[in-house]
Amino acid sequence: MRRPCSVASVQWPVVLALAACVSAFAANDTVLIRNADVYPVSGAEMKGVSILIQDGKIADMGAKLVAPKGIKIVEAKGLRVYPGMIDSGTELGLSEIGSERVTNDANEIGEFMPQLKALIAVNADSANFGVVRVNGITSAITYPAQGGRGGGGRGGAAAAQYIAGEAALIHVAGWNWEEMEIKGSAAMQLNFPLIAGRGGRGGGDEGEAPAAARGPATFTEAKRQYDQQIQKINDFFDAARQYQKERSSNVVGFKKDLKMEAMMPVLEGKEPVAISASRERSIHDAILFAEKQHIKVVILQPRELAKTAAELKSHNIPVILGRTEALSENEDDPYDQEMTLPSVAYKAGLKFAFGTFNNEFGRNLPYNAARAVAFGLPYEEALKAITINAAEIWGVADQMGSIDKGKWADLMLTDGDPMELSTQVKGVYIKGKEIELTNHQIELYRRYLARP
Amino acid sequence: MWNLYNKRIRMMKNVLTALLLFSACALAQPGPTSVAIRNVKIVTVSGPAIEKGTVVLRDGLIEAVGPSVTVPADAMVIEGEGLTVYPGLIDALSTWGMPATAAAAANGRGGRGAAAAAPAEPRAWGPEDRPQTTSWIKAADVVQPNDRRFEAARSAGFTTAVVFPTAGIFGGQGSIINLAGDKESNMVLVPSAGQYIAMHTSPFGAGFPSALMGVISYVRQIYLDADHYQALKAAYARDPRGMKRPEYDRALEGVIESKRILLPANRWTEVERMVRFGAELKQPTILYGMRQGFDPRALDHLKVKNTPVLVSLKWPEAARDTNPDEVETLRVLEDRAKAPTAPAALKQAGVAFAFYSDGIDQTRELERAVKKAIDNGLSRDQAVRALTLSAAEIYGVADRLGSIEKGKIANLVVTRGEIFEDRTKVEMVFIDGVKHTPAPEPAGRGGATTENRK
Amino acid sequence: MKKIVLAGIMALAFFAHGSLRAEVTVIKNATIMTEGAKGTVKGSILVRDGKIAEVGENVMVPEGATVIDAGGQWVIPGIIDCHVHIAVDGNMNEGSVSVSSMVNIKDVINPEDIAIYLALAGGVTAANVLHGSANSIGGQTIVLKMRWGKDADGMIFEGAKPGLKFALGENPKRAGNPQAGGAPGTPLRYPSTRMGVEDTIREAFNEAIVYKAEWDKYDAAVKGGQHPISPRKDLKLEALKEVLEGKRYVHAHCYRADEILMLIRVADDYGFKIRTFQHVMEGYKVAKEIAAHGAGASTFSDWFGFKMEVFDATPYNAAIMQKKGVVVSLNSDSENGELTSRLNTEAAKAMKYGGISREDALAMVTINPAKQLGVENRVGSIEVGKDADIVIYDKDPLSEFAKVQKVLIDGNKYFDRDQDVSGRAAKEAEKQKLMEREKQDAPQGRGGRSPQ
Repeated sequence: MRRPCSVASVQWPVVLALAACVSAFAANDTVLIRNADVYPVSGAEMKGVSILIQDGKIADMGAKLVAPKGIKIVEAKGLRVYPGMIDSGTELGLSEIGSERVTNDANEIGEFMPQLKALIAVNADSANFGVVRVNGITSAITYPAQGGRGGGGRGGAAAAQYIAGEAALIHVAGWNWEEMEIKGSAAMQLNFPLIAGRGGRGGGDEGEAPAAARGPATFTEAKRQYDQQIQKINDFFDAARQYQKERSSNVVGFKKDLKMEAMMPVLEGKEPVAISASRERSIHDAILFAEKQHIKVVILQPRELAKTAAELKSHNIPVILGRTEALSENEDDPYDQEMTLPSVAYKAGLKFAFGTFNNEFGRNLPYNAARAVAFGLPYEEALKAITINAAEIWGVADQMGSIDKGKWADLMLTDGDPMELSTQVKGVYIKGKEIELTNHQIELYRRYLARP
Repeated sequence: MWNLYNKRIRMMKNVLTALLLFSACALAQPGPTSVAIRNVKIVTVSGPAIEKGTVVLRDGLIEAVGPSVTVPADAMVIEGEGLTVYPGLIDALSTWGMPATAAAAANGRGGRGAAAAAPAEPRAWGPEDRPQTTSWIKAADVVQPNDRRFEAARSAGFTTAVVFPTAGIFGGQGSIINLAGDKESNMVLVPSAGQYIAMHTSPFGAGFPSALMGVISYVRQIYLDADHYQALKAAYARDPRGMKRPEYDRALEGVIESKRILLPANRWTEVERMVRFGAELKQPTILYGMRQGFDPRALDHLKVKNTPVLVSLKWPEAARDTNPDEVETLRVLEDRAKAPTAPAALKQAGVAFAFYSDGIDQTRELERAVKKAIDNGLSRDQAVRALTLSAAEIYGVADRLGSIEKGKIANLVVTRGEIFEDRTKVEMVFIDGVKHTPAPEPAGRGGATTENRK
Repeated sequence: MKKIVLAGIMALAFFAHGSLRAEVTVIKNATIMTEGAKGTVKGSILVRDGKIAEVGENVMVPEGATVIDAGGQWVIPGIIDCHVHIAVDGNMNEGSVSVSSMVNIKDVINPEDIAIYLALAGGVTAANVLHGSANSIGGQTIVLKMRWGKDADGMIFEGAKPGLKFALGENPKRAGNPQAGGAPGTPLRYPSTRMGVEDTIREAFNEAIVYKAEWDKYDAAVKGGQHPISPRKDLKLEALKEVLEGKRYVHAHCYRADEILMLIRVADDYGFKIRTFQHVMEGYKVAKEIAAHGAGASTFSDWFGFKMEVFDATPYNAAIMQKKGVVVSLNSDSENGELTSRLNTEAAKAMKYGGISREDALAMVTINPAKQLGVENRVGSIEVGKDADIVIYDKDPLSEFAKVQKVLIDGNKYFDRDQDVSGRAAKEAEKQKLMEREKQDAPQGRGGRSPQ
């Protein structure tokens, strides 16, 4: 039987071949970076300092380090060293071309799918990794349904999906997903119900959306549906708790259920739930839900932060903020609403990290952070939000997020401030291994620049 | 005894004959030839109100009106103590009487319902296919005199409507009709009053045109084609020999036949657009909708060519049972607050305007809608004018309609109390001199909502 | 009586003096990137009657001039976005037919689109408003100035040559694809392949040639004193005739190298020039051919991965094309104004990807798009005689840390960040007031039921 031949299936061997060429990196994970200006993030910057990397970890850091015999030395005078950046909102490895569904492995069908693992579907040779790596991003959270409203397809009118699966924290380089894994079960992704709005952009006479797409006609009906959906989630958690009871009491004839098994670390408080909730009502109800279920949560992309920051703070809930390069919801909102959101989070004392939530814009993580600085966030806080804060939120601050002894040597070397657009990234290290600074796009650049 | 018997038979015969004659008369002419309403307050609209006077109607026309007019001997007399008589109200852009297939909500958007009801036309691939065009249809030819909406309208004081077929882009030609008559042809005052044009857009993937700019380019092309068509026809008429005959195009015939066009405009930006467009097409233009008629920018553009406008009585309202978390835009809120002030603003700026029902067909709703404009700065007299003489002027029939003057058509509304007041009742209307009384209101109609608390 | 006469004379004198005095503004104390022969100047700009009258280190301030003290901030020429879909009423595509050259964006300008204001907040003073990319040959296009507050006519960039939009590649093929998701039974619209797109364009110009010949014959006859009946004016073919006569620019949306080359050859065959290739993501592959043809290229800074045809997109596209002699601009393709408001940083990316100089990078959003649109005599640089379209940034504009402070168009201020910020409270209060009033006026209770 002939397999259906699509454009995508013809291209993939080519893609893989190209991508494979550029994912190779130097085998050695022991190296001395000499005489650089180091910005550890966990402390003040240190000028003219060397970093010794051994077996992939930061072994030592100091002004006059002597390299052990035979190891590679990287002369970094005039360069800066920063911790590699962490993107807390991606679907790296799970999606290749937005408009081609066959290339997309996020957004599975099913209302409650905690047993799905983003990690094992990560294509280590995705072209997207090469793109973000060369700009100093060294690790990322990849979500099973980053779009937030999953359920079988992008923007499809499929049923709502409540629990999408487990998001994974991965390094953005490795021979396969096993090697890339930092924390396979970094968080359980949950899409909190939302009473959909009409959107607040008008001024022109656009045609009306078809009735089906617009949702329930009245608030009463929409609220009823919303409450029902929350109830459904609570019911599922209650069922998981019941399962937990049966599991621990060794009931005769107990059958293992994969969905319920996946819920156990969540109930035990070992795995946080990453909840997508953007509107005030959803955020507030998500907080109540977390209280009720006694679970740890992280809120993803809470846009109506001004009204909910205090409540989030009082429950010590960290948040992942989306791109500052975005428009506000309502045309009457201040035009810089999304850009000032991080400073609102900071002033409220919230712990937050940045996520780009779109593979295409992943490499612009530092520029989103910079834009927040332009609109009121202190520079140091912006830098923390793409490094140590992310590590803390995802529970790996002992391994990464800053340049400290004992942590992974996830580093970027730059010729300037990484948040400035004129800065070039001169070196990237992941687990101490030097990353080749090339990708499909750079290869094309070299080839066609040389065209006679 | 025989004589007595004969006498009785002769008497019965006389009575029978009289009865027959009388009933024959009754069938032949509904009502008396002449009617006089005396001792009544008369709002002529064309001049100052007459506190107490008399109006005499004869043969469907106003024979006399004044403070001291003699009541003819043969007139049926109506005592007007405590009553007020106004010219019959005119709905300046109406779908009353139109069959469902020809009608769509007269809001410039076209109606999905109408499209569904009408037989599907083949997909259009360009302006040559004359998509969504029925410019040759005259409302007078398709009006349904038994339309129930006429009765409701009469109960609100309407005697006349400028009725349009409104489907698609070129809906067709409107006709000025009275809201009653013994047959269709008697109802028609003016068979062709103007071409109704709507910016009817379609979903992506539908035929041409689907976007607003497509509709505009289509209308533009039609008028270019009409000019070319007329040139060809004239040349052919002069000397057909050796010349290929111009192809008959009923769409163009319909457009050429129309003496003016109606274009939709609600936002002030649309007013700007449509005033310019009407000028480009070199057509006398009336704009309908005028939700942002209060905006000075709209008024400025209207003054450029003194474009008359029709103001929709369907004031924008907030939807019920909406999400309290959702905030409307400032634009929408301002529109809702200010739309009812548009008539007063138009009046102030000296722009000619009339009201139209925009699909409202319930008596009470019509009355309330007009009252809202009065509550927002328009005087009652100005409101009455907007529903009578102004409408007549805009359509060029002010010489025969729209005010209580000698010689004009006997269309009147008689009220107990000032018209458009909450408690006022319409007692009767006259259409072509024939009296019509409103149906009694359904019991338990005390369900008036708590609006108009101002 | 004497007093009245005296008062009248004084009033007359006052008004006469006022009307004789020209509108003069001086922007002083700025670092000015002129994008002209003077390069970067630390000094002032004198504006008179909407035009730049003087630029230099020492500019005399005439009496009565309005003075804007930039306090050491940065000034650049107004940014020009060469590809937007903002300010359009209704659908930006007339997608029903593959050749829709009869439609005109000029007919549907929406001067109230908030995206215009957002563009101003991003330093954009002029934009090329285009028809969408649903058709092989789309609709007529127009250049606007972002004169927020004017009516539609007032937004038009007077004197800018009108254009016609072409589209190649995936988008114009979509309506011919049965799997495209249209309603069942909807007739397919030719073309559905790149081969068909070329054919569609050739067929259209074949028709246009015949149409032009008819009209040329008519014009000649009229000149010769005859009175023939004119041919039928066909709006669709009229626009194509204007292209053939060089009176209307062609802006062609394209991605792949093969289709770029195809269109160059078609244009050569019919004797017209492509003014700009838009998006042109593989332009770098055929930069030589584009330069030889004389077309400009207007592209994205770093987009990729969203469609199959951008698989070979590279952020070095702009740099390569520029090095090969093509006039390159960077655009937003924005419908809602989001990316339009960030073109300064999009330009800065050209420094990062390909080592373009600061001046050349800024040129890609100022003088280059001005050249592409044929308005470089009016805008695109701060030089004497040009329109006073000027933007003030608080920091280096080629940085994410910078914010637009003020924008002038024709010497009039259209955006002022301080005023925007200080006006927010009042706007919010007005909104609250209207909402309160509506709540009071609304019928009591839900669902329309009211007390008897």
